[in-house]
Amino acid sequence: MNRTVLLFLLFIIMFAFSCEQNTNSIVVYTTVDQVFSEPVLKEFEKETGIKVKAVYDTEETKSTGILNRLIAEKDNPQCDVFWSGDPLRTAVLKNKNILYSYTSKAAEGIDMVFKDKDNYWTGFSARARVLIYNKDLLKDDDVPQSIFDLTDKKYKAKVAIANPLFGTTTFHFAALFSVIGDERAKLFLDSLKANDIVIASSNGDVKRRVVKGEVYCGLTDTDDANEAIKESANIGVVFLDQKGIGSLIMPNTVSLIKKAKVSDNAKKLFDYLLSEDTEIALAKSCAQMPLHKGVKLPKGVLSLDNIKPMNIDYNKTAGKLENIQGYLKAWVEDK
Amino acid sequence: MQSIMSIIKLKNISHWYSDNRVLDNLNLEIEKNKITYILGSSGSGKTTILRLIAGLEVPDKGEIYIQNIKVSETNKIIVTPDKRQLGYIFQDLALWPHLTVYENISFSLKNMNKSEIEGEVKGILSLFGLDDYLQKFPHQLSGGQQQMVAIARALALKPKILLMDEPLASLDVKSKRKILDYIVSIKEKYDLTIVYVTHDHREAFAIADNIVVINEGKIQESGTAEKIKNSTNDFVKYFIEW
Amino acid sequence: MLYTIVLLPVLFLLVLPVLNIVVLTFFDSNLSESIASMSTDLFMLLLKSLAISGIVAFISTFIGIVLGFSLYKSDIKYRNVFRLLILIPLFISPYILAVAWKDISVLIFDIDTSLFKKTYSFIGMILVHSTIYSPLSILIIGSALSNISKQMEESALLIGGFKDMFFKILLPLIRPSIITSFVLILIFSISEFSVPAFLGIRVFTTEIFTQFSAFYNHNLAMLQSLLLIFICVFLLVSERKRISNSVFLSIGTRGKEVKLYSSRKIVIFSYIILSFTIVFTVFVPLSILVYQSFRTGTSKFMEALSLLLPTISDSTLLAILGSIISVFIGFVAAYYSEVLNKKLMNLMLLILFAIPSTIFGIALIKFYNNSILNFIYSSFGILIIGYVGKYSFISTKLIGNSIKQIPKSLEEAAVIQGIGFFKRIRKIIVPLVLPSIFASFIINFLFCFGDLGISIMVYPPGTEIMPIKVFTIMANAPESLTSSMALIVFLVTILLISLLFFIFKKIIAKYNVNY
Repeated sequence: MNRTVLLFLLFIIMFAFSCEQNTNSIVVYTTVDQVFSEPVLKEFEKETGIKVKAVYDTEETKSTGILNRLIAEKDNPQCDVFWSGDPLRTAVLKNKNILYSYTSKAAEGIDMVFKDKDNYWTGFSARARVLIYNKDLLKDDDVPQSIFDLTDKKYKAKVAIANPLFGTTTFHFAALFSVIGDERAKLFLDSLKANDIVIASSNGDVKRRVVKGEVYCGLTDTDDANEAIKESANIGVVFLDQKGIGSLIMPNTVSLIKKAKVSDNAKKLFDYLLSEDTEIALAKSCAQMPLHKGVKLPKGVLSLDNIKPMNIDYNKTAGKLENIQGYLKAWVEDK
Repeated sequence: MQSIMSIIKLKNISHWYSDNRVLDNLNLEIEKNKITYILGSSGSGKTTILRLIAGLEVPDKGEIYIQNIKVSETNKIIVTPDKRQLGYIFQDLALWPHLTVYENISFSLKNMNKSEIEGEVKGILSLFGLDDYLQKFPHQLSGGQQQMVAIARALALKPKILLMDEPLASLDVKSKRKILDYIVSIKEKYDLTIVYVTHDHREAFAIADNIVVINEGKIQESGTAEKIKNSTNDFVKYFIEW
Repeated sequence: MLYTIVLLPVLFLLVLPVLNIVVLTFFDSNLSESIASMSTDLFMLLLKSLAISGIVAFISTFIGIVLGFSLYKSDIKYRNVFRLLILIPLFISPYILAVAWKDISVLIFDIDTSLFKKTYSFIGMILVHSTIYSPLSILIIGSALSNISKQMEESALLIGGFKDMFFKILLPLIRPSIITSFVLILIFSISEFSVPAFLGIRVFTTEIFTQFSAFYNHNLAMLQSLLLIFICVFLLVSERKRISNSVFLSIGTRGKEVKLYSSRKIVIFSYIILSFTIVFTVFVPLSILVYQSFRTGTSKFMEALSLLLPTISDSTLLAILGSIISVFIGFVAAYYSEVLNKKLMNLMLLILFAIPSTIFGIALIKFYNNSILNFIYSSFGILIIGYVGKYSFISTKLIGNSIKQIPKSLEEAAVIQGIGFFKRIRKIIVPLVLPSIFASFIINFLFCFGDLGISIMVYPPGTEIMPIKVFTIMANAPESLTSSMALIVFLVTILLISLLFFIFKKIIAKYNVNY
């Protein structure tokens, strides 16, 4: 009896400290939802035989668990490649001197707008910020067409956004501040507040509330919108401000982490993520819009050419974020 | 008292519990092969004396000798309790509730094989008339039987000294008498020195060879039952009055 | 000796990383700036959090008394089934419970005004937290109730009625465990994050999280956490003081008999209240999950199953190992603190327990992420260290309360009989506290198995832990998949807990603990 117990203990202790020492492997941290990122990484494994060890993020700590981890690990980075769902937080890492500057051949077909000027990150497949609405609750004529419509009294307490301190909503607000200027943006946010805007815990929560009919409509990302449509027939999607400031386009970004030696495998994955194949795969799985010109689009996926984008400089917007975050925090807390 | 015959000697013992002095420069000798009763009301420090002898407490001041060997001194245990060759019957008996009668007694037997242990335990238990209760748990026994098990357990290691902390308090007169008779007979049989703590002077007068009356950490009177009965000490007179 | 052997790893593996990060914080150049930014507003927030969690702790403890009595003192049938079912809310993720509760309440009430919404979120948080933490209270108070000797109650019943006995005898006797339950739950509730975040309530933990996750201001977050730790330590130290002043009941050396009340009124009341609780906290959320999982057929459930199956064995083993070590450390700390008055390890485990998970995670990274300790950091070992550091205190607490109830004479008798230290521990102390060892094993297991806060910070790349997988998949998955995963976690946990109960029953029978 005692011997079995000992053997069992020994076994689990060995299990606990066993770590696969695979030299032909790389470590990836990604803030892109596991459902979408995992198949791409698996495909890379299959094609190259390089084992990918991934750390995914969760909704609760969306884009923050990993970022904090990268910051904390700075002195001895574990991660090789950082795949982010948006360029804003990548910029945080750039400022903290965690990234490695790398120019990939695979990025040649991608517009300069979507790349860091110092090549610390490169953008690919983009999402956009959209409005989703519940068709049962809003008639076609009543659907807002501009983000500024949301301050209208008829939507009082019936519009949801995610907490602007986290996730892509931060990005959206930072972009708004850079496009229309601080003063107008603050006025706009104040009137949103006066209109009792509902602050949800995440974009997924915005989607949930719209689908359930708790609110008429809400701001979210195209991939959430895509899921919402799959889940419920009553969901409509609008690209806001097509006649005005345009919709915010948010590319994925990929970066290499600064280390004593940046491995070739890491560069391979970097190139792979920037390839047209990856863009097509992401277009299929979550309706992301390819940034390479002339990629053949699957049915139902919008092309960037059909959307009027918000005209922003991604580097500058990242800087904007730091300036307005204190304001945003006060804005949220005052709710 | 003839100090040549004493088996336990407490010299200038003082002891405190937090700020309370429970023993005050106490000197006491226990005669060998005798039953010594320590009489006192609750809180008089009598249990503390037993615990000090057993080595469960470290004296704050003074020295303790057992068989002329220094076992404790100020703030120090020199000989650990298990090496003092004594048995201890606790006020609550301290029978291990999760072990059977058999296990309670065999638990401390060492350096024996299984059949030797069995013989030993059965021998002791039959002496106490507990043959039928080997596999019972303590709570399945009567108070008197639990008493017997506790004594049997203490004697299993063949101690020279048996310390008893008022173990009979909760028994009826008849069982008490029966166990007291046992105690006298085992004392003879095992060549024991017994130190017995109680507040019941009648019990003491019935079987004690020597009696020590203690109050507020000080000895008021000591000697034979006769001497105590005729004591002129106010406290002793008051204590044995009723 | 044993104490040193256990204390050293606790010091070096668990406490040192935290000290390290505290020192780093205080030597940071922006320290004064960080301190300056901790305004009075922050203290108001702290008060608010304390108030909310205080209400939660009060309600949970009240439920603990009522249900603990029904479960442990009334003469009901199928006691063990009830006991298992009542534990279930402990292992439903707070987040899922919050979502389910909101779905139901939106269906029932149609809320419109923002004022009502606000109060309504508060009620929601209190309700969800009370639901999750009540089982803890039931467990703590129930085991105290079943340690009261029959005579005490019966003698009281002779003098007064049931009511007098209950309020004047029973409650005062279990006061220590009532206080323990209150304080532990207060600490749990004040450091829980996901429910207030979901319901949009600003509390102290969400503030710390914001500093971390929106501003990446590790130093300020750390300082704020220190405040939280200080509060928790203060609470637990004052709890100790109150407990040490109160009379402790003892297991009794002449056997233990639990008084069971079989009056019709009490038994029927017990059945009703237990069934109501189980329906409310188990069947309602479970039915919602089942409905949402299978509304669109079984395909999503199968998908969830295929996603989670590969994670089950690793997660289970990790949780078992984590809880074995936690219980071991907890026992040693408890024994030395209660019997030999060495309280250092206890205090350390308490501080570790009070640190928010994210901070503890960062502390572990900063300490273990280097070339020397990399073998721990890149293996499951780091998760075990995280679990053990965070949850050992629970074991210390539960086992400690139980050791306190063993009369000193039981061990002293063994000392005089020449029984060595290890044999005394193994054959006397451990068997006598076995029930609370098992209780703390189960609770530790549940916390390790469901841990997200630490795991997300330190889980090794390329590995899959169940709660992490559930939450990373949840982000964008349709409701049916999310619910299916929650349902699977739920079923797996029930299965494992039943298995553990079964094994414990065998061991308990072997050790004759039901004396």
